[in-house]
Amino acid sequence: MRGVWHRDTVSWIIVSAMLPVVVAASLDLGLATMQRFGVALAVISFWQGVFLFTRAQPLSPIALITAFAVAVLASGTTEMWQIVLAASFGTVMGEQIFGGWGRNVVNAGVVTLAFLYFAFPEVLHTGTGPLVAVAAGFGALLLLVMGVLSWRIAVAATMGLVLATFALGQDPAAPFLEGSLVFGLVFLIGDPVASASTRMGRWAYGALAGALVAIFGWADAGIDAPQAVVFATLLASLFAPLLDAAAVAVATRKWRGGHA
Amino acid sequence: MNIVIRHGLPLPVAGALPDGEFVPTRVPKMGLAGADYSGIRPEILVEAGQAVASGTPLFRDRKRPEIVVTSPSSGRIEKIEIGPQRRLSLLTIIPEGEDAVRFDLAAAGTSAGLRSLMQQAGLWPALRTRPFDRIPAPDAEPAAVFVTAIDTRPLAPDPAVVMGGMEDSFARGVGALRLLTQGQVYVCQGDGVDLVEPQDRVSVVRFTGFHPAGLPGTHIARLHPATSSAPVWHINYQDVAALGQLLARGTVDFSRRISLAGPGTQQPLLLRVPIGADLHALSRPQLTPGPKRILSGAILDGREAQFLSRYHLQASVVARIEPRARNWLIAALGRASSPAAFVPTAAVDRALGPDMPAVPLLRALSIGDADRAAQLGCLQLGEDDLALATYATGGETDFGARLRAVLDMLEAA
Repeated sequence: MRGVWHRDTVSWIIVSAMLPVVVAASLDLGLATMQRFGVALAVISFWQGVFLFTRAQPLSPIALITAFAVAVLASGTTEMWQIVLAASFGTVMGEQIFGGWGRNVVNAGVVTLAFLYFAFPEVLHTGTGPLVAVAAGFGALLLLVMGVLSWRIAVAATMGLVLATFALGQDPAAPFLEGSLVFGLVFLIGDPVASASTRMGRWAYGALAGALVAIFGWADAGIDAPQAVVFATLLASLFAPLLDAAAVAVATRKWRGGHA
Repeated sequence: MNIVIRHGLPLPVAGALPDGEFVPTRVPKMGLAGADYSGIRPEILVEAGQAVASGTPLFRDRKRPEIVVTSPSSGRIEKIEIGPQRRLSLLTIIPEGEDAVRFDLAAAGTSAGLRSLMQQAGLWPALRTRPFDRIPAPDAEPAAVFVTAIDTRPLAPDPAVVMGGMEDSFARGVGALRLLTQGQVYVCQGDGVDLVEPQDRVSVVRFTGFHPAGLPGTHIARLHPATSSAPVWHINYQDVAALGQLLARGTVDFSRRISLAGPGTQQPLLLRVPIGADLHALSRPQLTPGPKRILSGAILDGREAQFLSRYHLQASVVARIEPRARNWLIAALGRASSPAAFVPTAAVDRALGPDMPAVPLLRALSIGDADRAAQLGCLQLGEDDLALATYATGGETDFGARLRAVLDMLEAA
């Protein structure tokens, strides 16, 4: 007897949660989104194929999610060769060399986007409107019901974002009208693999990620720019194992000394 | 005391058990598999063709000869199969007659006397230790004893119903278990009336919630965490009743009240059969068409076996799904790099009964990191505690087997 939460089933659940965002983003950003998506998907699939034959790592539908995250959050006049470079770096260094999705430390989409923003800083990326935010909200509902998105991370990230925004003297409702920010909150910060995996770790990780989004957004890139949420996720994911280790140290105090 | 277990998952298993009696059923054959008695290297005491009574010693541990496994029924030994390393693979008995060995109850009122009685009568293997889930050493003393009188596995018989008419035996058995320990005897039961009166050093604890609210691992971690220096023992309710009956009559009743159910049967049955009953013979008239797997134990954590295991109180029948023949290249690529990693979803968090960090523990088990797993609390667990984790991660990795490997490493260290 086996449940439905196999790795591949989970990635199909995330793909279906992304479908409303696909529609909203196509309306909002136009056909260029689909072009970027196609190129990124082709590149990621190519590298998955390479690792399938050289390292026996099975193909994963997670390629669709990574490619779409790149398409939505790299919305500027990015050249296609830039996407080819960035997606190659992101999927190989962020995911495949660790053994594929499920064993990675940071989200491959986040690595790809960070590469794009750093390597080609002259390209300006704009955010998306409230339509994408609403669509991502529906996706988040599905993920929460299926238990793929941790409600602790969702609540903690929202609270961290609101409190940090408030502390910076800005309007706490403003971030939730930004499509790219809400999209990143749900699909990048909420990525079940690259986020923390213990109860206290998830609260801390969510709060940290939310607060970083607010700080990067209001103090640096601009809350409407997609950079804020990508860099916040990158930093928070790198801290996730440390937060987990601290949470485990607290939670297992009672078993200590159990093994003579 | 009432404890609500907030973890656990509702399992999508159709059907319900019928009301009514457990029908005493004769079986054509009984079998004792050596694999059931982990940690015992048996010395066989009978030979093929020999007549045995219920309670006749069949084999004992070479190193600890006090630990004896006795015949569950009167009959004749059919065959004894010895496996690799001179281990017992299978011992089968054809039942005949109604002979039973009578045991001397004179010393049963003392701790040493009760131990010796349980060991002679073959009830000692009913006890198992945490950590490691092994049959305890003959002279060991536990920090506490847990009587598991709740079963939350899918389609398991309800202990409250099974115990109907056996309350006295059960209470006598619980009372006697106090002789084995200086500590508490915990009777863990479901919602409902107390199965025994609370007495000195006997606590009745009610557990409610989804599976694994009924597993001893959940109870032990919650009430009295086990350590290597202060192990605890657990025993199931039917063996406690058998102990109570032994103390009243001097003979052991090795029958089990089990359910035989699952999606592969026409209708679920309640049966009263001896330990080691031939499940193939029992289920044959009940099967629906098509290939089947017959499991000793629940759908969730049972294992495919012809004979009812010592520790299982139910049997299940599920459809056997043969892997489809596929193109050789696609099949080869599909087998690549397995097992696939698991994704930490909410289901994984809820899969373990004890309050321990599930994802780090499962990761430590899947790479065989024994020290880390011990730090995270794996000494509280047995293989059955991880069946739900295997289910909640899509069945890609058998975490029960991984736990056994880690426990073997820790035990040898």
